[in-house]
Amino acid sequence: MTVKEAAEFLKKGHSYAKRTKYKEALAYYNKALSLDPNNPEAWYLRASVLIDTGKSQEALADCDKAIALDQNYAPAWSKKGLAYYNLEKFEDGLYASTRAASLNGNDVTAWYIKGVCLDELNRSDEAQEAYGKSLELEIILDIEAERKKIGR
Amino acid sequence: MKTEMPLSKPIRRFLNTPEELLDTEISLLRQPDAEPGGTLVDIYTYDIERNVIIFPAQYVGLLKDFIIAKHCTNLMIKGAASKKGEYKVCSYTEESVYRGLRQIYLDALKDEANKKDKLPVQKLIQLLFILFSHFNEDVNELPWNTIINASVYHRMPKIRKTQLYHVMKESKNDMDEMMEQEEIIPRRYFVLNKAMFYSRDMFLAKTLPADELMPVLNIPQMKKFNHLEVKEILTTRWTHTAWYQSKVFGDNMLEIIERPLSQVNWSAEPTLDYFYDLYKIGFNLTNQLLSYMTMKDW
Repeated sequence: MTVKEAAEFLKKGHSYAKRTKYKEALAYYNKALSLDPNNPEAWYLRASVLIDTGKSQEALADCDKAIALDQNYAPAWSKKGLAYYNLEKFEDGLYASTRAASLNGNDVTAWYIKGVCLDELNRSDEAQEAYGKSLELEIILDIEAERKKIGR
Repeated sequence: MKTEMPLSKPIRRFLNTPEELLDTEISLLRQPDAEPGGTLVDIYTYDIERNVIIFPAQYVGLLKDFIIAKHCTNLMIKGAASKKGEYKVCSYTEESVYRGLRQIYLDALKDEANKKDKLPVQKLIQLLFILFSHFNEDVNELPWNTIINASVYHRMPKIRKTQLYHVMKESKNDMDEMMEQEEIIPRRYFVLNKAMFYSRDMFLAKTLPADELMPVLNIPQMKKFNHLEVKEILTTRWTHTAWYQSKVFGDNMLEIIERPLSQVNWSAEPTLDYFYDLYKIGFNLTNQLLSYMTMKDW
């Protein structure tokens, strides 16, 4: 029952987060985590809101908790890469985003963060490669979204 | 700049230019239902405290970067004109709306006289307002869109592939515009609308070299453009359509656009004076296009 309730709270939190109502989103994510702290998605979602509200250091801790629960949870690695980037720890950001991209090759953000970190580390050619991959994926997603819109 | 989102090095530098030269602040805002090309809400046009660039939430990588680059350039142009006390918004008054609507009405009546199926009066009246606002929006956008794209192309070589995708997408959307209403719109306006976008596409086709297309060919949906140059991609579509006659007007508009833009040194140092010069070119282009379309009283 508590797991089901927690899932419900996550859903509500996510709906608030999408509308950039971060305070409400955080409240629901906290409730979900108190009921079910073993769900990596909950830690990841809270990390996303923390990043969006400028709390990258706290987000990093949440990403680590998600990863501790599931070493191969790609979204948490991707978010971790972003948190490191915000904290200007580009080597760590590169490691996390590379891991994220290898777990999920279709993660646009992971490829982009990888490119940005490489750029910051003055590895321009590798950065261009990562940007290229990120762009390819982003365009495919955009074309699919357009098609859906037309078909609606 | 206020943002928690990742930004590539070149785009951060790009954002710094207007913030430093105009002594202003830019916020970036991601919104799920934002316009595909993003929106600039700036302090020079609206009564607000800081500039905001809004873009679709699903754009997280280079598509987002290109939108930011485009609107930063637009902001620089507006800001430079404003600093010189010259910034003007192409708008309308009660009298100019009347003149515009009257002109459309008379043209519509001429077209209707030759039609078998007459348009109901109610529809005709609706058409006047739709066409008037449509052309106002297009005239407000078109010269600037051309200038901004050319500028971004020269100043941000690292996002050219992204730009190419945007240009092609925009071109497709603009071509589709009004197609469903083709039969009911007075011919003159249909042709002029298409001609405007044709001229922009032709100018950009000359500005964006072909080799930039190659890397996007890995994308399955883009494969049909294989072995085509950018110019061919943009021109093939136009020449295979029913509105070929738009080409005649479009070629004239292209000449109007090309004349001043071919003189611009796109790689010159980005100073206030430089962007003010771009503003003057856009301002004059707007006037010339309105004049060419005999819409100068609108």
